[in-house]
Amino acid sequence: MVVVVLPSILATEADGRNRFDLDAGTVGEALRALPVADRVLDERGELRPLVNVYLDGVDVRESDGLTTVLAGDETVRLVGAIAGG
Amino acid sequence: MGVVALLGTRKGLFLAESEPTRREWTLSGPFLTGWSVFHAVLDPRDGTIHAATNHEVYGATVHRSGDRGETWERSEGLGLPEESGLTLEKTWHVEPGRPEEPGRLWLGGAPGVLFRSDDHGASWEVVESVLTHETRGRWNPGAGGMCCHSIQLDPGERDRMFIGISAAGVFASEDGGETWTPANSGTAADFLPDPFPELGQCVHKLLLHPARPERLWQQNHCGVYRSDDRGRSWERLEGNGLPSGFGFPLALDHRDPDAAFVVPEVGAENRVTPDGRLGVYRTQDGGSSWQLLTVGLPQRAWAAVMREGFASDGLDPAGVYLGTQSGSLFVSPDAGESWLEPVSQLPPILSVEAAEWS
Repeated sequence: MVVVVLPSILATEADGRNRFDLDAGTVGEALRALPVADRVLDERGELRPLVNVYLDGVDVRESDGLTTVLAGDETVRLVGAIAGG
Repeated sequence: MGVVALLGTRKGLFLAESEPTRREWTLSGPFLTGWSVFHAVLDPRDGTIHAATNHEVYGATVHRSGDRGETWERSEGLGLPEESGLTLEKTWHVEPGRPEEPGRLWLGGAPGVLFRSDDHGASWEVVESVLTHETRGRWNPGAGGMCCHSIQLDPGERDRMFIGISAAGVFASEDGGETWTPANSGTAADFLPDPFPELGQCVHKLLLHPARPERLWQQNHCGVYRSDDRGRSWERLEGNGLPSGFGFPLALDHRDPDAAFVVPEVGAENRVTPDGRLGVYRTQDGGSSWQLLTVGLPQRAWAAVMREGFASDGLDPAGVYLGTQSGSLFVSPDAGESWLEPVSQLPPILSVEAAEWS
């Protein structure tokens, strides 16, 4: 099982849950299984530009993005980019 | 029965409640923390609050609450079709449908898009006739993006409605949104080579008077206008009391089709209220003359009021509500004669709506 950890604003959108244990083969599969998938991915299924996804601490954009393969024991952490006011 | 003012801010939604006297107010919130609430409205048909919500990181959506803000649900399936080549940028305005259309709502957004819901806002379907309008290539975004911010329904003619898009102009539909015709004759676009084009005008706010639905008012980038023929032609109204034709918000008095309220700004290059004060200007003669209203409003202020930051209620006399970017709510319980500042120090106020609730 991969663990997906949400930031607080998305946890609020997910009935207060900030941690999801999921079976997923890729980062994209894991994100699409979330109840807040539409806030993480746009209507094309692309990662929203200011959403950062860290796989065991490594930005998935530095690997294969949404197609990054999961072994099944990782932690996927979603973090909003430092932006806004 | 009481009154609620829904205050959409850059950092959540606040609710201000009062008895019908509208002199003592109680504030609750914030709700929808973390979200910029571009517009929130109480659906008079079922009491649901609908909010057009946006987040720099997590995108544009719509939230709704059936329990006065205690719990919220997010709309599903809100987006633009792949073949459009566009993605949804912002949600701007939610307009409940007519009383005889339960479950129907309209949603305006950017880039120049309109959605319809027939399931109380649970899901939305893009209005293809706006998305693929033959003139879309001549539309341009204003400073706030290419936003569909105004949606007005004729209360007596089920198929007649109007939208305002900045900077595409006003469009009218006589067939329930199946087709749209530009309705900008007589409104200026001083920033274009042809100052009176068919379309491309930067309408800032469009309102229809519910008691005289052939009458429309608009605050435009280039003037204040009134139409008495369903948008076929427009008469420019500023001068004779208005210090500037530039501004964003607009409010009407439901009892009096000849009355309107605007909050002018100095101009496009200096977007603050003129003369170093917060001035509301009211006409009671269809725009022939304008009266500066000052009682209770700050006489030393360089304020700004967003396009959705002005509203009126359905009581008698009409209440008028004004929210500033500096986080103050001003309320006039007497159709503009005097003003209170019952709420201050909020985040920047993006939108104000007023409604009765029990």
